[in-house]
Amino acid sequence: MSTIDAVVSGAGGVGLAAREGRRSGRGWNVWVGLLVTGLVIGFGSFVYQWSAGLTVTGLSNTITWGLYIVAFMFLVGISAGGLIVVAGAELAGTHRFEHVNRLAVVCSVAAVATAAGTILPDLGRPQMAWKMLVQPHLTSPLVWDMAVLSLYLVIGVVDLWILTRRPVPAKSLRVMAIVSLPVAILVHSVTAWIFGLLVARPFWNTPLLAPLFISSALVSGTALVIATAAIVERLTNFVVGGAVYRGLRRLLLWFVAADAFLLFTEVMTTFVSGEPDHREQLDVLLTGRLAPVFWAEVTIGLLLPAMILVFTNTRRWIVTASVLLLAGVFAKRINILFAAEFDPLVGLAPGIPGGRPGQPFRPDEIYLPSWVELGVLTGMVAFFCTIVTIGVRYAVLPHQDEDPVLD
Amino acid sequence: MSTEPTGRVSPIEALSPASRAYGTIDVRSEHPRWGMAVDLERCVGCWSCAVICKSENAVPLGMWWNRILTDGAALDTPSSDDRGGHDLHWVPLACQHCDDAPCQKVCPTSATWTNAEGVVLVNQDDCIGCRYCMAACPYGVRVFNWGDSEYPVPEGTGMVAPRPVGSVEKCTLCVHRLAENQVPSCVWSCPAQARIFGDLEAPESRLVQMLESRNPTILLEEKGTHPKVSYLQPRRRRPLLAVAAATEIETEIDSGEGS
Ligand code: SF4
Ligand code: SF4
Ligand code: SF4
Repeated sequence: MSTIDAVVSGAGGVGLAAREGRRSGRGWNVWVGLLVTGLVIGFGSFVYQWSAGLTVTGLSNTITWGLYIVAFMFLVGISAGGLIVVAGAELAGTHRFEHVNRLAVVCSVAAVATAAGTILPDLGRPQMAWKMLVQPHLTSPLVWDMAVLSLYLVIGVVDLWILTRRPVPAKSLRVMAIVSLPVAILVHSVTAWIFGLLVARPFWNTPLLAPLFISSALVSGTALVIATAAIVERLTNFVVGGAVYRGLRRLLLWFVAADAFLLFTEVMTTFVSGEPDHREQLDVLLTGRLAPVFWAEVTIGLLLPAMILVFTNTRRWIVTASVLLLAGVFAKRINILFAAEFDPLVGLAPGIPGGRPGQPFRPDEIYLPSWVELGVLTGMVAFFCTIVTIGVRYAVLPHQDEDPVLD
Repeated sequence: MSTEPTGRVSPIEALSPASRAYGTIDVRSEHPRWGMAVDLERCVGCWSCAVICKSENAVPLGMWWNRILTDGAALDTPSSDDRGGHDLHWVPLACQHCDDAPCQKVCPTSATWTNAEGVVLVNQDDCIGCRYCMAACPYGVRVFNWGDSEYPVPEGTGMVAPRPVGSVEKCTLCVHRLAENQVPSCVWSCPAQARIFGDLEAPESRLVQMLESRNPTILLEEKGTHPKVSYLQPRRRRPLLAVAAATEIETEIDSGEGS
């Protein structure tokens, strides 16, 4: 969704500046202006929400988590790209992706940092967030996630530092690859377990949730690298080379196949033999209120791009498929979050109190984010783009002539 | 913290000694573990307990710690079952004070905790408002302070301090009253005496005796939360065999009339 737009425009602005070869180019100024506007909108919305309370969001006592948590899940997922391109390639012994490795790590760092930042506006009392650090409750998956995400962020920054050394210290790179792989698996698993360990939410409470988060992360992470690389290549003198796209396409095919298989086996098992509670929450997706989003996810966000990847091998189509896959994974995050929230376990009339004066009892029919939430999201997108911009400007473009370009 | 007294004079204090005696906890063992039973046979669905809970605990407008669900019908229109009887009962629902409370496990700051007497509480000083506990509670009994609290009267209500914006709250089992050896407000106020409060560790308490002599069920037993609130099933329902026999007789009469 908007993250993709942002990446597109983000890389575009950088591109303009880079092509003009000076920091004060017109495109650069426009881009910095956009970023600052986005950050101001986001920060302003956040401060307003902070002073008024979360009452200015579209959330309620039934839909307690909304857009911020969807964005959080999505951002954690797309951070997988850097790892695939750097650690994966390193361990597989291929140099194929060397040219985009810094770009991929920049995207990862930006994604993890933004994901961590996304938690703050979701809190009712952000001023109390420090309590999580000084008195962490060790049985809480939120605490585990905070730990692994911080570790992952540090790994990303160290990776980037190593990749910008000349010559690249091969041994350090290998050590980092070995360290980062288990941490990455943990990052996506623990993020899944925030949801998957809750008995109250049968739709989340499946052992397949962690594998599903990993497969979705691999898909969206790879797709993000492809999309970003294409944009940067189009708008700057940065050359990616056909070999990178073709290599990533093959990887992406495997990831999409795994993701589709896991989704299918989860849906199939629940549909045929799931517990009634679990089945009811699945029905929200199959035939219920979220059916349009779910079927769009499966057709436009999964099957269509899979077909494109199978039958085509050109840059244009690989990029198109990647953008569709990113949208598909975003839709998947929406579906996972709300399938369980729309249908609470104890759903007897009159339902759960809405929470605000005058708000009726009942589970909400639908959740729509408020303008404040969209404003905060704009800020997150701007934050993500700012980090990517800085990264591209100072870590990606300066060394580009030193990398081998495989066509 | 939500349990601090506000210094207001409780209406119960102001009442006669007899009223106070009526609200006194029957037995208390050395290490009490508080529990409750709701007699579904007696509950008339009047919402008295829900309303007094709000006024006792300063629960703002739009929020409820305790509410009366209707099992077997949409809202309060009774539906008929195939036996011709009304297939409906009320399910008063508040925090179940789970022994293995999922809300407590997931709380990142330990704001949600269980006191020595088994009461699950939220320490609002530590609550960061992440609402993880709301996602984790299978019963949907926690409510969030979305914005500034509003009360039906400007000065507010309640025997305990209101909670800050952005924090989560829920039934405290009226811990401030337990300290005074008084049963919770909802128990004291129930006009049908459908709520039985007591010490699960005291075999001679009325609660334990009722749990032994009646047919208690707990909500969502399969989730493994081990609630300390039980529901006593109505006895007036005809047992299944009798129902089958009665249906047969009715069918015979019907066909007899038809021929
Ligand atoms: S009923 Fe919900 S809020 Fe109460 S202890 Fe159990 S899980 Fe926690
Ligand atoms: S909302 Fe408060 S009580 Fe609930 S899990 Fe978060 S910090 Fe704990
Ligand atoms: S025990 Fe007290 S806080 Fe809990 S529902 Fe009853 S009146 Fe409300």
